[in-house]
Amino acid sequence: MLRKGSREPMSRRALAALWGSVLLAVVGVVIVFALPGPPPRTYPDRIPVRFWHMWTAEWKEVVERIVDRFNESQDIYEVIPLSVPGTAADSKFLLSVAGGDPPDVMAQWNPVIPKWAESGLLIPLNSLMTDTEWADFQETAYPAVKKIGMYKGNLYGVTTGLNIWACYARLDHLREEGLDPAAFPQTLEGLIAWGDRLHRFNERNELTRIGFLLTWFAQYAPAFGGGFYDWDTGEVLLDTPENLHALTYMVNERKRLGFEKVIRFQSGLATGIGNVEWPFIGGAYSITVDGQWRVEQIARYAPDLEYVTAPIPPPEGGKRHAGWTNGNFMIIPIGAKQVQGAWAFVKFWSGLEQPERAAEFYTWGGWLPLNERIAEAPFYRAYVEEHPQFQTFLDVLPSEAIQPTPPVPYQVYLWDRIIQADDSAMRGTLTPEGALDRLAREVGREVAARKEFGYAE
Amino acid sequence: MRQRSLVGYAFISPWLVGFLVFTAIPFVASIYLSFTRYDVVSSPVWVGLANYRKLATEDPLFWKALGITFKYALVAVPVGIGAGVCLALLLNLDVRGISVYRTVFYLPSIVPVVATSVVFVWILNPQIGLVNGLLRNLGVVGPAWLQDTKWAFWSLVFMSLWAVGGSMIIYLAGLKDIPTTLYEAAYIDGANAWQRTRHVTLPMLTPVIFFNLIMGVIGAFQYFTQAYIMTQGGPDDSTHFYALYLFNRAWRYLDMGYASAMAWILFVIVMTLTLVIFRTHKRWVHYGN
Repeated sequence: MLRKGSREPMSRRALAALWGSVLLAVVGVVIVFALPGPPPRTYPDRIPVRFWHMWTAEWKEVVERIVDRFNESQDIYEVIPLSVPGTAADSKFLLSVAGGDPPDVMAQWNPVIPKWAESGLLIPLNSLMTDTEWADFQETAYPAVKKIGMYKGNLYGVTTGLNIWACYARLDHLREEGLDPAAFPQTLEGLIAWGDRLHRFNERNELTRIGFLLTWFAQYAPAFGGGFYDWDTGEVLLDTPENLHALTYMVNERKRLGFEKVIRFQSGLATGIGNVEWPFIGGAYSITVDGQWRVEQIARYAPDLEYVTAPIPPPEGGKRHAGWTNGNFMIIPIGAKQVQGAWAFVKFWSGLEQPERAAEFYTWGGWLPLNERIAEAPFYRAYVEEHPQFQTFLDVLPSEAIQPTPPVPYQVYLWDRIIQADDSAMRGTLTPEGALDRLAREVGREVAARKEFGYAE
Repeated sequence: MRQRSLVGYAFISPWLVGFLVFTAIPFVASIYLSFTRYDVVSSPVWVGLANYRKLATEDPLFWKALGITFKYALVAVPVGIGAGVCLALLLNLDVRGISVYRTVFYLPSIVPVVATSVVFVWILNPQIGLVNGLLRNLGVVGPAWLQDTKWAFWSLVFMSLWAVGGSMIIYLAGLKDIPTTLYEAAYIDGANAWQRTRHVTLPMLTPVIFFNLIMGVIGAFQYFTQAYIMTQGGPDDSTHFYALYLFNRAWRYLDMGYASAMAWILFVIVMTLTLVIFRTHKRWVHYGN
């Protein structure tokens, strides 16, 4: 064989390389076309409503069941779910809005509402409600639901699952120490005393089991009368005496157990909040603080585990049923093509429409409802009777002292720096005063810069 | 000739279009954006030098991140070069099965950095990790590595050696390129092995070291993935690298204007350092002519 324009015959090696390349290209094309494409639509004649969410694995299945239920109930819309990787979901969403092709509705749990609302990315959902519906929502939604979803008087996110944290205690460990779960401590001091009896160490004095550990400043600050936001005045609170008291209390307890010891012990444990590999089930903690969804996970993956739940007790003289909260909420972006379809789906799932029906969906994920109507619905009551430990979370749910992250447009920055202050203090690298002072200075600088840049706050 | 050029451009047009759309235009646009307040979705608002002023005077985390990144470049790049050269010298020996050793040492550098990072999180786990397990067998209590403020940075430096095989293979190619006549002359002159390495091998390897130094410095200032996956900048901001802070500013806090200003400062730093290294290269890089 001769190369075109050349008198030299093509060598065997070059010929083999040429045919090899052609073969490779053909195989590539075959593979691309052989890969399965997106599944065909079940209801191709209906109006598509594109729904993004961040759930995976077992949670994704729950979400898809709810979507199926919605689609079965409809004859106009078809919701098409898409699981977007959690780490890239926010940037993907922002780019889709900027590019003019956002989803019609998205389920979120990141602290995004204030910033996205301030940037004009979200449709105020109260604008889709009638006056009666809006008044009803404001009257019936739990306080935390309103705090999470609202920004500057408008509702931008409807909660489809609130998270409340409470104590989980293993009965086998309590029995070892002769502790009576019916007499669960009513104060933080009492709980710490129980924890001291339940800690276990090996011959090298390393922790092998934690009885109870005070961890997560944001969770405990409200119980000490602190917190990061004045919900009446809209002021961000950081280095207040109450917050300092809470952090100092926590640091002193950590110091007693040993900063390094705790770090080492915890580093060997799984930490993801949705993970099934929960150290409590494995016996690494005797009493721990976690969210309500663990009740469902225990029932599913460790049905023989004997445990009780109880509200996190306040310190002496502190606030009952106080703590931090977050939740899953639905948002509808500006630029959504099927706003009415999206809104119909939000109402369907959240229970703003037919709470009795939506109660079932909440039980599938072990989620807390947005109002008492759902909590009192027969399906939900049956679930609580089947999982009596769930009642603890419902008892705490209506509390005004449950606080989410402050709804300010720099919420993500604020949250990052609160976690940083917590980390520095709990490691002993800064004193509680030093950590809160640094936090206040950092946030103060950020706010000042934002004002200089023309932001309202 | 003109037609042939057009054909050539047509063939590379996919790359050209990609370069223009995804690199050149954003690169130029980021100059403008660095003088604005911009959150991706709203129109940019001109703020003049405010982003740069805030970075310089009101943002301690910027200086901290810059310091950590400089420290990493100062430590990890020379250590990587040293390890790479030593490894290449060893793998240049004429011993049985040398190609197997070369393959073994090169393999880690082709493992995706994300996978490597996840594996190292477990290797460096203070309680159940491989490293502390080995140290425990020797009667030593290992540090908490990534969880310890004092050790987290050094853990990442230590981990950077894992991928030294990539530069090692370039050094090895450089070693193969050194004329044997130079070694023969040195041998005849009575030079021992160390003297041959010191006065023949290393000087002749300096062009390759120079190349790896430039690439290493640029790479060090772009250090991101490992910190993002393994430490998220912690504990206590001890691994808050510049690129990680830039990313957070851009995508977590939606401060694209500020992040663009950071990107331009980074660009100027990297360009300056590269120029400085280029300016010095005549003093220490030997091209054998």
